[in-house]
Amino acid sequence: MSDPINVGSVDAIDEGEAMVVPGDENGTGEDIAIFHAEDGNFYAINDECTHETASLAEGWVEGTEVECPVHSARFCLKTGAALCLPATVAARSHKVEVKDGEILLFPHAGA
Amino acid sequence: MNPASVLVIGGGLAGYNTARELRARGYAGALSIVDPAPLPYDRPPLSKEYLLGRRGVADIELSPAAWFSEQGITLVTGSVVALDAATGTVVLENGQTLNADAVVLATGGSARRLPIPGARDPALFELRTMADADRLRVALAPGIRLAIIGAGLIGAEVASAALELGATVVLIDPIDPPLVPALGPELATRLHLMHADRGIEVLTGLPVEITAEGPVRTVHLESGRSIEADAVLVGVGIVPNTALAETAGLETDNGIIIDPHGRTSAPRVFAVGDVARIRAADGHLERRAEHWENARNAGAVTAAALLGQNPASPGAPWFWSDRHGVHVEGVGDMAAPGTSVVRSNPDGSQVVFRLAADGTMAGAASIDGGLAIRAARRIIDRRIVVAADLLADPAVDLRKLAR
Ligand SMILES: Cc1cc2nc3c(=O)[nH]c(=O)nc-3n(C[C@H](O)[C@H](O)[C@H](O)COP(=O)(O)OP(=O)(O)OC[C@H]3O[C@@H](n4cnc5c(N)ncnc54)[C@H](O)[C@@H]3O)c2cc1C
Ligand code: FES
Repeated sequence: MSDPINVGSVDAIDEGEAMVVPGDENGTGEDIAIFHAEDGNFYAINDECTHETASLAEGWVEGTEVECPVHSARFCLKTGAALCLPATVAARSHKVEVKDGEILLFPHAGA
Repeated sequence: MNPASVLVIGGGLAGYNTARELRARGYAGALSIVDPAPLPYDRPPLSKEYLLGRRGVADIELSPAAWFSEQGITLVTGSVVALDAATGTVVLENGQTLNADAVVLATGGSARRLPIPGARDPALFELRTMADADRLRVALAPGIRLAIIGAGLIGAEVASAALELGATVVLIDPIDPPLVPALGPELATRLHLMHADRGIEVLTGLPVEITAEGPVRTVHLESGRSIEADAVLVGVGIVPNTALAETAGLETDNGIIIDPHGRTSAPRVFAVGDVARIRAADGHLERRAEHWENARNAGAVTAAALLGQNPASPGAPWFWSDRHGVHVEGVGDMAAPGTSVVRSNPDGSQVVFRLAADGTMAGAASIDGGLAIRAARRIIDRRIVVAADLLADPAVDLRKLAR
């Protein structure tokens, strides 16, 4: 696993909101969304909905799920799993750690 | 009821998701889907990305063929011509018979024909299937004159796509603006005006006849006006495919009558999706839902009912539509009695909320609304009373209002 990226302080993302780390900054070439879920934890999955092209960071966070803002597919923030149609393919999930109040993202490239 | 075998007739979204949900809920019995198409596919892209050639067949298949074999779901290519509701036996057009403990009718709808002379001309276009979309796509060469009768959801989407493909488009509807019951007058008006803005000729009028001369079709309006076109698309709604149910003796009334869990009047037979019409617990017949989300949810509800489980209640109905680069959504009931509150955002996106007299929200519709519709759906389902001035103020975070 590559070195983590420090994406900023935990205060930078309010609960229920998300922040995008662009593909050219995270090294995977694909935008990654970091969510502050309603369980208080931070999770990261690829930002682009696997159904079409919406940004999941603009979606509706509820509990530890996000609902796509376009056709309402839901994804599990912990695993990236697609929870209902129209998405059937999981979003790639990435490891996140919080250390000394900073959010660390471990981008996970590959299939 | 826990049937040993389930046969789904119709492989649209509702039939597909019934099968998918049965397996997801642990059903291990025999499971088949019969449909004339070899693999279930999704219909909304047929008037959008698929018609534009931006998405191909593989992109709109609901699952790849391998998934069906992995899941032990048998796909039978064919069309059912008879059903014996008492025994669960069906006959295909090639004479083959199939039998199952439970039968799910997911036959959807067919394009409605206009009740006017010339409406049966096979050269006219309609849009329900992938084959329809392929045929339309071939016809939409740059410069061709396309007349679209019906400016509802599909008519408007095809108008937008055809324009992008270089066609000259005339859009005809007797009502101006259409879609007021679905979106409310504010957004229906704004959306309808977009057609003319983009260069589509919009006519308000009632077609009374379609005549043919060689390859050219002429649509005659009641006003005396006539429109010549190289292709005519008729998009004036659907009629539910109830013939099988009717001849099998099931109760139908502009749809197959079901209870809220998908049960028809025959104990072995269920119905889902566009073809089904719910009789509510209090006895009144609901309107048939003809939207994608209803078909998805109905599949889940019916799968649960088939397995004797308690299905979750789906909540306020929702649909979307895409045209001229904007994303339109509606949730709940925009035609409910009450008042409307408009939220206009600085980026041009707009949301209209429909509030009932008691302050609860009955419906919401949006242009590029995104999160607003997700908030509205929860406000509706949770019966939250929200002050109108907060809803109208773009600076107020709707997420906070919905929690
Ligand atoms: C072009 C188009 C665009 C749309 N866009 C949107 C949109 O943007 N948003 C939205 O919310 N909704 C949209 N919809 C509506 C949505 O697609 C439908 O509500 C949904 O497909 C209904 O699913 P269904 O399974 O009930 O019926 P259908 O999808 O119609 O499927 C029924 C299936 O049953 C098969 N069948 C019928 N009779 C038989 C028989 N006797 N034997 C075997 N098979 C049979 C048919 O061939 C068909 O495959 C659109 C629909 C179309 C056609
Ligand atoms: S783009 Fe996310 S559900 Fe369609």
